[in-house]
Amino acid sequence: MNMAEKILARASGRQSVEPGEIVVADVDRLLMHDLSGYLTGQVYDREVSKPVRYPDRVVMVFDHHFSPPTEQQAVVLETNRAWARKHGINLLDCGNGNLHHAAVRRGFIQPGMIVVGSDSHTPVHGALGALGVALGNDSHAGTVLPHGKAWFKVPTTTRIEVTGTPPPGTTARDVALWLAAEIGEGELNYKALEFAGPYVKELPFWDRWLFPLLCVDLGAKCAYVEPDEVTEAFVRTLPGGTTERLARSDGLEAEQLLRFDIGELTPQVAAPPTVGNVHSARSIAGKPVRWAELGGHGGGRFEDIAAAARVLDGRRVHPDVRFNIVPSSREVFAEADRAGLVLALHEAGATWFPPSTGSNQAYNMGALAPGEVMISTHARNFPGRNGSPDAEMYLASATTVAASAVTGTITDPREITHPREVAA
Amino acid sequence: MIFEGRCWKFGDNIPTDRLVKSKYVFEPMSEIVKHVLEDLNPEFPLGVQPGDIVVAGKHFGQSSGRAIATKALKATGIGCVVAQTFARTFYRNCFEVGLPALELSSVGDLVREGDRLRVDLTAGVLENLTTGARATAPAADPFLVSMLEAGGLIKLAAARPEIFA
Repeated sequence: MNMAEKILARASGRQSVEPGEIVVADVDRLLMHDLSGYLTGQVYDREVSKPVRYPDRVVMVFDHHFSPPTEQQAVVLETNRAWARKHGINLLDCGNGNLHHAAVRRGFIQPGMIVVGSDSHTPVHGALGALGVALGNDSHAGTVLPHGKAWFKVPTTTRIEVTGTPPPGTTARDVALWLAAEIGEGELNYKALEFAGPYVKELPFWDRWLFPLLCVDLGAKCAYVEPDEVTEAFVRTLPGGTTERLARSDGLEAEQLLRFDIGELTPQVAAPPTVGNVHSARSIAGKPVRWAELGGHGGGRFEDIAAAARVLDGRRVHPDVRFNIVPSSREVFAEADRAGLVLALHEAGATWFPPSTGSNQAYNMGALAPGEVMISTHARNFPGRNGSPDAEMYLASATTVAASAVTGTITDPREITHPREVAA
Repeated sequence: MIFEGRCWKFGDNIPTDRLVKSKYVFEPMSEIVKHVLEDLNPEFPLGVQPGDIVVAGKHFGQSSGRAIATKALKATGIGCVVAQTFARTFYRNCFEVGLPALELSSVGDLVREGDRLRVDLTAGVLENLTTGARATAPAADPFLVSMLEAGGLIKLAAARPEIFA
């Protein structure tokens, strides 16, 4: 069996499982944010109304609000707090960071776990060798909260091998965006994805994170990087970090193998209307931007902030651009501060926001007027997601976002960081 | 399970954000239902009739896995939803909230906006009553059909507690 099958077999009390089977498995962690938590809590109290079976396995993170901007939203958060207290679940209130980053940093995710949540990017926990699967509110209300279980169809597995060393200026996010387009949105529907190959294996943990993150756009059920010494070293840095349940594949079990070489890949940008509409940064360079942001499920990492600081070293944010930085967790903000990046980016003209999920759906920041353009490290760019459907959202690496913040237009960051290579 | 109604046709890669926009998420369902898919076809929430059939292209219901998108679509009174392919959380949510869903790869070529359609979900057959065209899809998993018959996952778990005990 491969990693996903082993975890499903363990959690459903079976010796083995086969792709296509439906199993009922124990859930080790349920992650909810302030919106999904609210909707799930409403359904639970109205339609199920039982004690939560394993409250210590449930975590709610307020990440769409670092502070509620309206009375209605304040009421939602207060309702969530009361619900969390009533049922005795874990609550990380406003200011703790993005749901997934905060959960990892606080030690709620371990290799070998089954992690579920309504957030569609829940599969990102495959970066730690956990089986992360997005379920709907009714799975949580109907089976996870009252019984600690969920139903799963055992997926077939596609192995995605990435080889090559990209040229300077091209980051792991460029590779991830390019893969989304190259493979195609929805093209790996219902599958488990294993990201592998020398390129992926040599990435540090937080760059690996960007690959399971994209699986939802490909349509996949879950995705993972086979746990290795990088995973184990990272897990040891977490509070209570343990590899007790760590599962590894027996061999190269996959139904399908896709191979990609990224040796020539240049910086990439996803243009509206979907994550799969990816172009080289160079081909859409010159598009004026008004907002730039580091943040979201994949952004706001220390690595993103450090990359932006390198671009802004000796430069300033363009007067027509607002460059907002949203750390993905309190821990990242502390790390950025210790590295001197908070003041450096502040003085270069960027604005710091509290740890949260930032402009994701514009619940407390990031609404756009018709015609406004944002470039960010976020994970989604559907029209109308942030204010006007006539605004445009572009997705790119922190390096490209920072370079565009400097010039005021979408920019191939190598124009700034590696001018000689671009000219050649 | 047989459904007959007018076809409302939508395109590819439609996210749940466009079924229910973020700003309506906390509103009561009676309000949400007035805005379902309004950005893509303003006539839809105004003109949809009980039993109508929503047809979409590839990867329907991608993005956020919030069940409220399927609940809102169900609340419009449609009989069922047919797509070339569904995003997996959307497909799962359809059955969990009791909204019949059929995945049919050829549906895009088979139907036009406004055609009368007949869908036999258990047999996996779609018939276009306007043109006479007909196609068959793989049948839905029996576990998912039992969920629909029970009225959704929460009701199934209540009626058959041994499944999740």
